[in-house]
Amino acid sequence: MTRRWGRHGGIYLLGYLFLLPAAAVYLVFVLYPLARSVQLSLTDWDGARPVATFVGLANYARLLHDGLFWRALGHNFVWVGLGSAVALTLSLLLALLVWNKPQGFTVFRTVYFMPQILPAVIVGIVWSWIYHPTFGILNRGLDALGLHTWAKGWLGDPGTALYAVLAASIWATVGLAFVLFSAALQGVDTELLDAAQVDGANTWQRVRHVLVPQLANAVTLVAVLLLVHGFQAFDHVWIMTRGGPDDSTQLLATYTYQKAFMDNEVGYGSTLSLVLTAICLATAVITVRARERERA
Amino acid sequence: MATTTTTRPARTRLARRPRRSPARLGWQLGRYAVLLAFLLVFLLPFVWIWSSALKSNAEINADPFGLPSSLRWHNVVEAWTTGRFGSYVGNSLLYCAFVVPGVTVLSCLAGYALGMLRLPGERVIFTAFLLGIMIPFQSIMIPQYYLVRDLDLLGTYWGVIVPSIALGLAFGIFVMRAFFRGLPPEIADAARIDGASEWRVFHLIMLPLARPGLTTLVVFQFMTTWNMLLIPLLYGQDENLRPISTGIMFFIGEYSVDRSLIAAGVSLSTVPIIVVYLLFQRHFVRGISAGALR
Repeated sequence: MTRRWGRHGGIYLLGYLFLLPAAAVYLVFVLYPLARSVQLSLTDWDGARPVATFVGLANYARLLHDGLFWRALGHNFVWVGLGSAVALTLSLLLALLVWNKPQGFTVFRTVYFMPQILPAVIVGIVWSWIYHPTFGILNRGLDALGLHTWAKGWLGDPGTALYAVLAASIWATVGLAFVLFSAALQGVDTELLDAAQVDGANTWQRVRHVLVPQLANAVTLVAVLLLVHGFQAFDHVWIMTRGGPDDSTQLLATYTYQKAFMDNEVGYGSTLSLVLTAICLATAVITVRARERERA
Repeated sequence: MATTTTTRPARTRLARRPRRSPARLGWQLGRYAVLLAFLLVFLLPFVWIWSSALKSNAEINADPFGLPSSLRWHNVVEAWTTGRFGSYVGNSLLYCAFVVPGVTVLSCLAGYALGMLRLPGERVIFTAFLLGIMIPFQSIMIPQYYLVRDLDLLGTYWGVIVPSIALGLAFGIFVMRAFFRGLPPEIADAARIDGASEWRVFHLIMLPLARPGLTTLVVFQFMTTWNMLLIPLLYGQDENLRPISTGIMFFIGEYSVDRSLIAAGVSLSTVPIIVVYLLFQRHFVRGISAGALR
């Protein structure tokens, strides 16, 4: 080790100097808070008192009996399951339609991708307008089609609010999945498809048995991406419904925020945030596995 | 496309081969019908809001898709001044001006150290940074809020800037390390043999080679900073500190009935960024896709 240091001392010193500023900021503002949230989750701190009382695993026990936590988790699963399925299908369909880069490909890609660059606040406002009970275009469109009995306050009805916000969120993210699939399709071996056609396979058979297997890795990656984003979902819900009405759109992330910063239950909020952390780390491990399979 | 004909007949084989033109025509029509329908789905909401910005409230309520009877630029002016949009845009620019270079410089330095120099202990250090990519902001926001408060940074520009830099570092270092790893180390060795100092090797030889990675990082970090919601919501709780995202949230709370003013505000905050996007479209698509697939 010392001989290595002797030979490379200058380089190593420079290397650690290069690392120092990033490591310092990261240590103080990311790693320390992460460790501290574990500590906070074992207390009943309210954010104001000078000392926090240690309560052991009481917050975790409370989690098991907190109906709202389980409801929020259930909403997260609906969000992830339904949202990912719709976004995957739509983006793959659109990517297939522009596979050979038809006339206007750049225009389509530019427009489909556009919601990605906008703040979630804007997406939330635009969709709140679309869903507005009286002047929203959704209800007006239904009116025009003679379906005025279907019209309702989409975000104000506990039965539809979650799906309405989810639809807005899908609208905002599908362009990203589309771009990723478009890129993956450029790497597909078209000669295999030609061969299948020569062998008499019809379009559906070629998609199902030749194309999809070649895209398996891309599908996995996009699915995991949607999964991670789905569990972290916060912005669109927060802007459009704040978790309401009647907690019908409460997700893990919004519930955590509400407990920690509005109900001043910092200890319990930290416990909730650790559940979210655990889920995200688990999905990250799945991603790494998928990557490794891709490389293999 | 002509160049591809030698190796591959054409790009797609999914479409039926053009045996008979009616089938091909039908396929083309159907395909464009779907593509254009989705084009409208993504475009119409914006057209609606932008046109509403130039209408009166009565016009918006009467006919959502009608053209404005006269162009009311007054709405836009009022949103900029009374609605304080000028200040919001200014703050967003200010945050970007500090956070984007901050993340970029620190990530380049650390990414170079981890990607090129083979330091003892680099695996442990890199794994610690990787952790930051895997966890969402909500994992650390509660203790971070109290940290920012205890440092007396709550309600200051630095209170928004420093945590934003910290949160951008994990991804920045990930990108830059991967980029430096991909560069041939022989180039650096050759320069060393010629007597260049380590610092010169870094900033005159290796850094320029990493420029594509740098562009990706800058675009991604710019978008993240411009769009950030929770950080200013938590740490910038002062009306003078609001960037566009939280600014527009409060604006809506205040002027909820004045739809043309809201539409004007939304237009003011979307049109500039969309113009930038249209100009640098390729970089945006690449940067954001890379950020998503981290």
